[in-house]
Amino acid sequence: MDDYDKTCLESALVGVCNIVQQEWGGAIPCQVVLVTDGCLGIGRGSLRHSLATQNQRSESNRFPLPFPFPSKLYVMCMANLEELQSTDSLECLERLIDLNNGEGQIFTIDGPLCLKNVQSMFGKLIDLAYTPFHAVVKCGHLTADVQVFPRPEPFVTDEEIDPIPKVINTDLEIVGFIDIADISSPPVLSRHLVLPIALNKEGDEVGTGITDDNEDENSANQIAGKIPNFCVLLHGSLKVEGMVAIVQLGPEWHGMLYSQADSKKKSNLMMSLFEPGPEPLPWLGKMAQLGPISDAKENPYGEDDNKSPFPLQPKNKRSYAQNVTVWIKPSGLQTDVQKILRNARKLPEKTQTFYKELNRLRKAALAFGFLDLLKGVADMLERECTLLPDTAHPDAAFQLTHAAQQLKLASTGTSEYAAYDHNITPLHTDFSGSSTERM
Amino acid sequence: MRIFSESHKTVFVVDHCPYMAESCRQHVEFDMLVKNRTPGIIPLAPISKSLWTCSVESSMEYCRIMYDIFPFKKLVNFIVSDSGAHVLNSWTQEDQNLQELMAALATVGPPNPRADPECCSILHGLVAAVETLCKITEYQHEARTLLMENAERVGNRGRIICITNAKSDSHVRMLEDCVQETIHEHNKLAANSDHLMQIQKCELVLIHTYPVGEDSLVSDRPKKELSPVLTSEVHSVRAGRHLATKLNVLVQQHFDLASTTITNIPMKEEQHANTSANYDVELLHHKDAHVDFLRSGDTHSGGSSREGPFKETVTLKWCTPRTNSIELHYCTGAYRISPVDVNSRPSSCLTNFLLNGRSVLLEQPRKSGSKVISHMLSSHGGEIFLHVLSSSRSILEDPPSISEGCGGRVTDYRITDFGEFMRENRLTPFLDPRYKMDASLEIPLERAKDQLEKHTRYWPMIISQTTIFNMQAVVPLASVIVKESLTEEDVLNCQKTIYNLVDMERKNDPLPISTVGTRGKGPKRDEQYRIMWNELETLVRAHVSNSEKHQRVLECLMACRSKPPEEEERKKRGRKREDREDKSEQAAKEHGPEKPRPDSDRLKGILERGKEELAEAEVIKDSPDSPEPPNKKPLVEMDETPHMEKSKGPMSLLSLWSNRINTANSRKHQEFAGRLNSVNNRAELYQHLKEENGEEVGLTGGPRTSIPFLKCSHSPVVNRMETTENGKASRQ
Repeated sequence: MDDYDKTCLESALVGVCNIVQQEWGGAIPCQVVLVTDGCLGIGRGSLRHSLATQNQRSESNRFPLPFPFPSKLYVMCMANLEELQSTDSLECLERLIDLNNGEGQIFTIDGPLCLKNVQSMFGKLIDLAYTPFHAVVKCGHLTADVQVFPRPEPFVTDEEIDPIPKVINTDLEIVGFIDIADISSPPVLSRHLVLPIALNKEGDEVGTGITDDNEDENSANQIAGKIPNFCVLLHGSLKVEGMVAIVQLGPEWHGMLYSQADSKKKSNLMMSLFEPGPEPLPWLGKMAQLGPISDAKENPYGEDDNKSPFPLQPKNKRSYAQNVTVWIKPSGLQTDVQKILRNARKLPEKTQTFYKELNRLRKAALAFGFLDLLKGVADMLERECTLLPDTAHPDAAFQLTHAAQQLKLASTGTSEYAAYDHNITPLHTDFSGSSTERM
Repeated sequence: MRIFSESHKTVFVVDHCPYMAESCRQHVEFDMLVKNRTPGIIPLAPISKSLWTCSVESSMEYCRIMYDIFPFKKLVNFIVSDSGAHVLNSWTQEDQNLQELMAALATVGPPNPRADPECCSILHGLVAAVETLCKITEYQHEARTLLMENAERVGNRGRIICITNAKSDSHVRMLEDCVQETIHEHNKLAANSDHLMQIQKCELVLIHTYPVGEDSLVSDRPKKELSPVLTSEVHSVRAGRHLATKLNVLVQQHFDLASTTITNIPMKEEQHANTSANYDVELLHHKDAHVDFLRSGDTHSGGSSREGPFKETVTLKWCTPRTNSIELHYCTGAYRISPVDVNSRPSSCLTNFLLNGRSVLLEQPRKSGSKVISHMLSSHGGEIFLHVLSSSRSILEDPPSISEGCGGRVTDYRITDFGEFMRENRLTPFLDPRYKMDASLEIPLERAKDQLEKHTRYWPMIISQTTIFNMQAVVPLASVIVKESLTEEDVLNCQKTIYNLVDMERKNDPLPISTVGTRGKGPKRDEQYRIMWNELETLVRAHVSNSEKHQRVLECLMACRSKPPEEEERKKRGRKREDREDKSEQAAKEHGPEKPRPDSDRLKGILERGKEELAEAEVIKDSPDSPEPPNKKPLVEMDETPHMEKSKGPMSLLSLWSNRINTANSRKHQEFAGRLNSVNNRAELYQHLKEENGEEVGLTGGPRTSIPFLKCSHSPVVNRMETTENGKASRQ
């Protein structure tokens, strides 16, 4: 990191921007705390200058705000409001927050500048930005108080039809379990550590059970470690079974709890949030339609646990799974014609494949209005017929002639032979019976 | 993200006028095999596609890519225009697939070159396009219904892609004006209609196409705002593959797509099965899959920008999968893909490999030379997704292990049992709607929650907290009692389990009682059984409200678990032991009365119970599954009933009648000790424990309680009986 030894907020923000991106990438939310005395620098590089020129930037020296990662910009002013208001400093700082899409806040000192008041200002920041997220993991009657870290961020699904950010419930209710193979590395918005905590009767956190070396033997944490906790049980079983727990985070919002190993020894209970919506993972289908296996007629996982109801198959296949016809490149068309020709030369053994390929080409040609192709292939088949060797099966000639004739009829584009759903079927010959036997 | 952006609705308007039958003048050789192999044969003359064929296949390719990547919520309406407009499909999701469109196009067929050009115009199609944009889609309808008073938030925008052969720039302007005017008119109509929506924004993309080798009469024009509602752009493109390329660029622009080239894919050669060559395959997907590259600027694009900025592709290297181990990757996004060249051999090799269920990790070559796994290709149910794996540093580095936190020191969690529990509570899709008894829709996920509630009513987390779950003998009961309803067979199995336990107790078999927290050898055998019975009762009681059959299991348990004679002795030894009662005992108390009642209280309770039962005309149910009573003599209790009533003053006709019925019925069976002594249908357990010197009051029926147990332990013969509502029992 370069020294930023002059009040030059822009280069400081650029520095932050680079460091965060190099280290954390562009997806991890980051809180940026800017501590300033409220003086914005002078001349070139001063915040006033930066803001005045921020509309005239090229791509290479873009103003660092908004940050290219999810962020909150907190400006901690070592000055009280009156001091700041006497100049345009506050205005400039507010512009910074605005530029960061309104994500952030300005803190000022109440009263005179002294240690106590500064502490109280930072206290406010801590309350706002660093309060832990407490929740209860529930599985029927089994429950555990937990802290979720980092704090799950509110999420906007569609800024137009549903602009209100969604926040997760503090009751994390498990609705069922799914094998890791079935959930299959799902995309998630964020992931969080789920730490069991011990609460006293007033609901205050006593501790996470983690012991510091210098702590008393009988400390609250020591005791908490020895009280059975549902999270530990859940974690252990999820790990052993290779499963995840599906957890409801809110209306039409789900996530999963799973065991995450940090190293061979250390592992943890983690929670990942799916995108809110009725169907966050297409291969699971609608979340509301997932029910207990005991309601199914027979166990969908099989008696020996050898099958699975997942993944769900979509109604329509994608193009790469359904043998679509694309002739945009000449090679696509040539391959399809060659397939027909290759099979034509192996008639009558390949009668079925020959007609299958022929009909595929015919359908596409009709849809694309490419009737010349049908004529061309008909000509080609007729020529093949003349080239048949003497040893050829007599059925081959019959089928080739029949196919060519049918294609010609289709190529007029008007007759019933040109109907899309019509299929050319093999000609019934005296030989065709024997040919199928030979197949 | 906005679902109702311009790309929610796309209308294709393709010119079907006679001129479109013209050849694109780009030849296709199709007779290849002959050329290579058979000497002396002149291959057939190459053919060429018409402008129509080029337009249709390019638009189908646009749709193919769009449907592959956005199978839902992105809709196409296909219109063909000649002497009128032919609308080939609707906005409904069922109409949104290639097969439907291809079939519809086949019915239209190629344009007739001999038709009167004066009658034909692209205008018909453009007017129909505006009309169709006003029509509400099922997604818009659904969102509007859901948003109720905020229905106006649902936008109506769309895009018209018009492929035609225009005569001049002024012709193009005429077309734009027409669209502009039509939108104005239709918005007026839509304002007064419930099932039409006003167009807020329309993007008109006019593509002028002409045969290769001709001069274009129309000039390109970038996107321009014609009015607040309408923007328009003009592309002048040669037909043939140029048109296809243009539409490929457009589909990427319109749907925010980006390209990734998978490089170094090893494939076996057809001719030489032992050798393999490396191939590249280009895939399209939503550009968010590149979000990390875009932000960090560390794009390693192949950069061959022969087709302008949209031909940029990010190259990722194939990593041959070594194991089939199933891992849960931290994945920040998954995007459907579509191969650019879907039928090419490398493409289909790759897609088939993935469709067969293998996943492939992809490596991102970085400038620094370091290698990072950044993506994964994987198929789910016949759909291929490009998963974005997080490759930046985690903020959850080095977290404390769960064993260091709350409950981390406990070592005897029932991990295996909970694993079994999880497997029983796995989820499965229920695609067909189911209905509840009250005809309301049953939500499967709610059923799953209900089941978890039932299965966890009594679920001790650690081994030393439970006896029954450590006993193989209890499994048949424990596994079925949690069910919502029991079959007769289930009940029978539960009863068998109970008899089996009784038998174990008689034989004085040892129990797996934890000695944790107790000094010395732990509780004595009879004490162990008491703990076990208590726990079993807690389990069964937790489910007693599920059904009448659950009730029967409890009844059987209560009848069988009565105190053995030794217990009297134990009681004499006093209450010292009670202070160290097992935790399961405490759990049991949650379901039972809190404190022991003095005798006088109990008597009052019995009287009250009698009153209540009579008032409700609730007939005492038989205990058909309990072992046969030693003799069929009418119970002592029967003689007492009238006595109890006397103390209650005047009686109603109903009570008189119910009383009579009760008496008659109760002669036919023996009442449970538990029920007889219950208060508000709750039986107090181990009353004797609290009594001084085991002094039994006649009313609690000392002799009755022990007899069934002794009887059944010697002859565990089960008589199955069906109880009817009025308490009559019939033997089967």
